[in-house]
Amino acid sequence: MKYVYYPGCTLYTKARSLDACARKAAERVGFELVEMPSWNCCGAIYNTASDDLAAQVGSVRNLAKASQLGDKLVTLCAACHNVLKRVDDRLNQPGNEVERNRLITFVDEKFERRVQVMHYLEVLKNDVGFDKVKEKVTRPLAGLKVASYYGCLMVRPKEVLQFDDPENPQVMDELMRALGAEPTKFDFKTECCGGYLVVNRRDVAKTASKRILDNARAWGAEAIVTTCPLCQYNLDKLRAGDSSIPVFYFTQLLGLATGLAPEELGFDCNSFDPVPFLESKGLLS
Amino acid sequence: MKSEVQGPKSETRNPKPRVGVFVCHCGINIAGTVKIPELVERVGKMPGVAVVKDYKYTCSDPGQQMIRDSVKNDQLDRVIVACCSPTLHETTFRNACAEAGLNPYLCEIANIREQCSWVTEDKDKATDKASGIIRTVLAQAENDQPLESIVVPINKRALVIGAGIAGIQAALDIANAGYEVVLVEKEPSIGGHMAQLSETFPTLDCSQCILTPRTVETGRHPKIKLLTYSEVESVSGYVGNFRVRIRQKARYVDFDACTGCGLCMEKCPGRAESSFERGMARRKAIYRLLPQAVPNRPVIDPKSCTYLTKGKCGVCAKICPTQAIRYDDKDTFVEEEVGAIVMATGYELFDATKLGAYGAGEVPDVIDGLAFERLLSASGPTSGEVKRPSDGKAPKRIVFVQCAGSRDSTQGMPYCSKICCMYTAKQAILYRHRVHDGEAVICYIDVRTPGKGFEEFYKRATDDGIQYLRGKVSKIFRQGDKVVVWAADTLAGRKVELEADMVVLATAVVANPDGVALARKLKTQIDTHGFMTEAHPKLRPVETLTAGFFLAGCGQGPKDIPETVAQASAAAAKVLAMFGSTRLTHSPTVAVVDEEICVGCGNCERTCTYDAVKVDEKRGIAVVNAALCEGCGACAMSCPSGAMNHKNFTKKAICEMADSF
Amino acid sequence: MQTPTGRALLRQIEELSGQVVSDCYQCGCCTAGCPIGEDMDPPPSKAIRLLQLNRPEELLASEGIWMCASCLVCGTRCPRAVDYARIAEACRALILRSRVSKVDPDTVTDPELEEIPQQAFIASFRKFSV
Repeated sequence: MKYVYYPGCTLYTKARSLDACARKAAERVGFELVEMPSWNCCGAIYNTASDDLAAQVGSVRNLAKASQLGDKLVTLCAACHNVLKRVDDRLNQPGNEVERNRLITFVDEKFERRVQVMHYLEVLKNDVGFDKVKEKVTRPLAGLKVASYYGCLMVRPKEVLQFDDPENPQVMDELMRALGAEPTKFDFKTECCGGYLVVNRRDVAKTASKRILDNARAWGAEAIVTTCPLCQYNLDKLRAGDSSIPVFYFTQLLGLATGLAPEELGFDCNSFDPVPFLESKGLLS
Repeated sequence: MKSEVQGPKSETRNPKPRVGVFVCHCGINIAGTVKIPELVERVGKMPGVAVVKDYKYTCSDPGQQMIRDSVKNDQLDRVIVACCSPTLHETTFRNACAEAGLNPYLCEIANIREQCSWVTEDKDKATDKASGIIRTVLAQAENDQPLESIVVPINKRALVIGAGIAGIQAALDIANAGYEVVLVEKEPSIGGHMAQLSETFPTLDCSQCILTPRTVETGRHPKIKLLTYSEVESVSGYVGNFRVRIRQKARYVDFDACTGCGLCMEKCPGRAESSFERGMARRKAIYRLLPQAVPNRPVIDPKSCTYLTKGKCGVCAKICPTQAIRYDDKDTFVEEEVGAIVMATGYELFDATKLGAYGAGEVPDVIDGLAFERLLSASGPTSGEVKRPSDGKAPKRIVFVQCAGSRDSTQGMPYCSKICCMYTAKQAILYRHRVHDGEAVICYIDVRTPGKGFEEFYKRATDDGIQYLRGKVSKIFRQGDKVVVWAADTLAGRKVELEADMVVLATAVVANPDGVALARKLKTQIDTHGFMTEAHPKLRPVETLTAGFFLAGCGQGPKDIPETVAQASAAAAKVLAMFGSTRLTHSPTVAVVDEEICVGCGNCERTCTYDAVKVDEKRGIAVVNAALCEGCGACAMSCPSGAMNHKNFTKKAICEMADSF
Repeated sequence: MQTPTGRALLRQIEELSGQVVSDCYQCGCCTAGCPIGEDMDPPPSKAIRLLQLNRPEELLASEGIWMCASCLVCGTRCPRAVDYARIAEACRALILRSRVSKVDPDTVTDPELEEIPQQAFIASFRKFSV
């Protein structure tokens, strides 16, 4: 199965190795991500001011372009997913035809169809199936107690994202179980890490991130797994001095379990080096 | 909505009926928009109108007298009152006509207020429309025939569904007046949720102590036929003449042989979650709800009984001194005939696990109000000692969360549940009575204390050192062996994080789902939230729009015990008023079948929502049960042959009305 | 572009945010659930109160609106479905549109630029800079 793939700027550059890992893991599990040509920045965050149309043009172009290539657009970054899905929803709201037409005129590419915006996790759950993922596991993550951190952008606003229960989602926990790991209980699955506040209010982002980590550890988690490169950064980098736990991107664990070599897992993106931890759990052999 | 008026028989005096039209000003409600003098002049010119008068408040005594006098003096054959909606005064004016000797069904209302003067500010348009409306009603009146009210016999026996405090009170009131009552309760014993409470606000009366005298009286009353562990299967018939089929569930215990000694319960090895204890304890497979159960007879829960599920054990049968165990028991059915039905099916609490951010179901020390009542109750699972469900220790700090699922259009019910502010204050006070160094924090949005002694009770709570923190709780989660609550202090304008040993959620009061299912089965009205709908929100709070069905208690809407008891007695009064009259009358403006034309296609039977018309298989024609017919006209509309008509609203009349506008 | 004042300002905030401030019954759930709640001044419910009392200029002058991470917990859990995040964004938009920035891109250091995912910068500048 091939999917039109939108990496987004962070995964294309700073988190390049996470992107590479994700593609290889996809192959292991049975689907292919085909990057769409000449995509542009999605906007990184959805602007909610009711007249702010200009901010949406970038995403409109991506959606139009993707629509010429297929009917599903897969993203890996929670932020890109959030923006693209919300722009798509707004474009197609009944009663928004005037706005839609104005946005379309700004973009050269024509819409061939309405594209279904999907997150990589949704592909795994709905199209591949966690049972099939489990079959492809060659290195079960036995004994790995991991807290699944979804972050806020994956689940809210819930009417648009329609991704699991916004208070206690289970999708990533199920994935962890399929990979042989032990998802731990966790009360902060969808509480914000501070997000982009890290730029101007690092202190605030640090407080928010620390609370998340503390709760994960209190429930016995030895590691945290995330779906957003910014959440991964905040949780991983901002707790200087605290005794820390590794913060993985979910594709790293997916790749690890389905037999990718450690060099292929993008550990250079991790601030807290997860290798010693994984070795101690016997998961790198 | 139908006016049922008894009046004398009267023939049409003249071949072309003489119509009197009375135009009401209704103060400025009509006269402020409709030009009355012009309207009177136009009406006076309409063919058939013998006299036209106008008056400021026609519904007043002098107004009605004016109509009565005109009927006599002007020899009127028809009366039209152009005024407000018929739902208000049709009965008033029909009675006035009857008193003057004119058949009341020859009096019609032309609504020139709600349908005319209240929907426009344009005086010319209003006057034109008023004139048109009167012309159509004129056409109707000319086609009207004198009718007699239908007499319906009454079976002076009542059915009360639900034996919580509402059902008990209603049953006692009706029985004490000398009529027989069948009281049906789905649980093995009576008392409802009131039996689960520890103390009641604002007096802190022990709930069992004030309830048990009533339950004992009910159990012993010679006029009350108590059917517990039973459910209403179906109701057929009509007001005054209902036939009720009741399922008596298999108890597996012989009611008459059993003495209630309780030996079986001591030895039973079976266990199940006790719904009476609200998840705070388990019970045996053979059980009774509480030690003071009325009737004092246990039942066996077939799902948790080792003998009934696996064929092993049988200890209770062996140990019973009167051999009262009956493993081969089956559900049985009884048929009862009654004239009136009181629905008192009560309430449930909103499922707290639906409030995802509150941790209910996940954190054992987060419980709802009724579960906490069980912990407070002296006959409860902890003998009245407040203990944490997780480790049995006494909590030193409890956070009470109000509005958990109430006043919430996004995750819960949009309405206010009325009783929670008071019972939360009560629970906090009682907690502090038991745990003297315990700290209680109540997170609230408002504190609603509308009843007698309620505000004083709230002050008693704050005087006791209970802290009220104004802010709706956002999130509750476990941290170690504590429970963390994310709250707010909106009065100080900041977020607050609380660490508690236990959290009690005052969850929304919702209609008992079994009551909702029953209402659907019986086709009585319920609102979008499942509460039973009263006939009029202000003036008819204990009746329904289905004749013969009355309501009482929380099944109609959240309320406390004094209001419940008042409403139950009110419902009983309505039943007694019905039983006290010699006969029941039903409006005669019902459907009527032309038997020559009818082919028995059955469209009318399928259309009727009142089960009032059925095709007689033998004769091959539709037959209308006039006592059940509410005169809605749906069957006449659905009849393809034109056989079905509606008295005083015939197709001929309707066509002439439409043409005349 | 001049920022309007008084009732005209309040109307603009409501129009840009798509929220009706009179819907809020000041329960405080938004403040209770905000991850930045302890540091935000005024916190969400108090911010809306300022608008209800027709004091929008005070809200626009506050620090709190620049601390919203748009996580949307407030609007999701609000019993009246009032979305404070959109209100904060409307306030910020009105200031930004009068060519006043809160975060100056030039103050970002090179090491930060190297390290922090660019999604954060783009988002931050979209919300806080002109």
